[in-house]
Amino acid sequence: MHDINEHGDELIGRIVSELRTLPPVPADATARVLARVDAARESERPGRFSRRLIISLPAAIGYALAATLAGFMIRGAVPRRPEPTVAQVPNPPVAESLGGGTKIVPASANRRALQEAPVKVQFVLDAPRAKSVMVVGDFNAWDGSRTPLERDSTTGVWSALVDVHPGRHVYAFLVDGKTWTLDPRAPRTKDLDYGTQQSVLMVGLP
Amino acid sequence: MRTDRLVRCLRWVSAVAVLMTARVASGQASQGLDSATAAAIAPIVEQARAEKLPVAPLYAKAREGQVQRVPAARIEAAVRTLADRMRAANEALAPDASEQELHAAADAIKSGVPAETLRAMRKAGGDGSLAVPIGVLTQLIARGVPVERASMEVVALLQKGAVARNFIALEESVRQDVLAGRRPDESLDLRLKGIIPNLPQSPGNVAGLTNASTPKRPR
Repeated sequence: MHDINEHGDELIGRIVSELRTLPPVPADATARVLARVDAARESERPGRFSRRLIISLPAAIGYALAATLAGFMIRGAVPRRPEPTVAQVPNPPVAESLGGGTKIVPASANRRALQEAPVKVQFVLDAPRAKSVMVVGDFNAWDGSRTPLERDSTTGVWSALVDVHPGRHVYAFLVDGKTWTLDPRAPRTKDLDYGTQQSVLMVGLP
Repeated sequence: MRTDRLVRCLRWVSAVAVLMTARVASGQASQGLDSATAAAIAPIVEQARAEKLPVAPLYAKAREGQVQRVPAARIEAAVRTLADRMRAANEALAPDASEQELHAAADAIKSGVPAETLRAMRKAGGDGSLAVPIGVLTQLIARGVPVERASMEVVALLQKGAVARNFIALEESVRQDVLAGRRPDESLDLRLKGIIPNLPQSPGNVAGLTNASTPKRPR
């Protein structure tokens, strides 16, 4: 033990003396350092843009942060469309829009939210001669561009899977972007606000 | 001096950024509405927002009219009426109605369901969602069941512990019966007899031990 300590002290002493010794300085080092200092002074002369920028940089960052914060506050005040819930439907029901939802994807642990989590519903329309079919309803804010139906090339049947919350919903198909078409498979109702006929969809839990 | 100019410039840039963000945000909400309709409903939307009502259904109602090429004045009237119905629904389902419940309740009020019925449903339904029961109530009325009768039965079902699948089963059965030629109120009588004995809080059942099940269709 004693030997090891003696050798250790000696080793540490040598390391310390090595570290205290300054490394050799190249002959042109002083000249290079002075040249850099001159260059730095030149760039910091009054009136130069870079210096102004450095001075005003905190202000710029402050304004940018304020703008971003204000933007977020305004965005937060305006309701956004609900994000569609990711759901897995291994075997979606075919050709049944009335109560056709099958799988529910819980959105949160809250009981009410769980009961109101969207269900995948399949919408189907036989329209072999149509060029485009969209479904519009209260579940997609009557925005047809959000829910175009896809055509099965062999059968000419159009269909789409849509996330719909449990409850009663009204909808219609828009054929070729303009023709209001009711679902022949679903019950109908007259909308009292606009006086038009609409299809009715009842969605429950599986 | 130049610093001041730069700071002033940055202020302008910030103001423009804020305005652009606001425009983008409001554009997202009123997306798909023409400028005349958006302007016509803007005060209604702002008032609803101030009252903490969801405004998305108001925009949706406007879009519904627009997709059916309804004149802007009629759209404005429809949106205003919907805002009134949502206000009434919000009061009836207080203190914490979900957006789905408000949507359903506003529709129910449109069909003639009184606010007292909605209040009774909230009381009977506990903390469960009323979106489906209210929707079924609306649909029963749309099928021809008198409002008072349908309201009474739906509240009674909730008090007995009926859940969403019971209501959906009831509505589907009544639909089938009406298609087969039976009167809606007669069908409701018949189908309630199939549902009520299976509910948890029915006299013949021990609470919590019996599962509410879908009524069997008659052969």
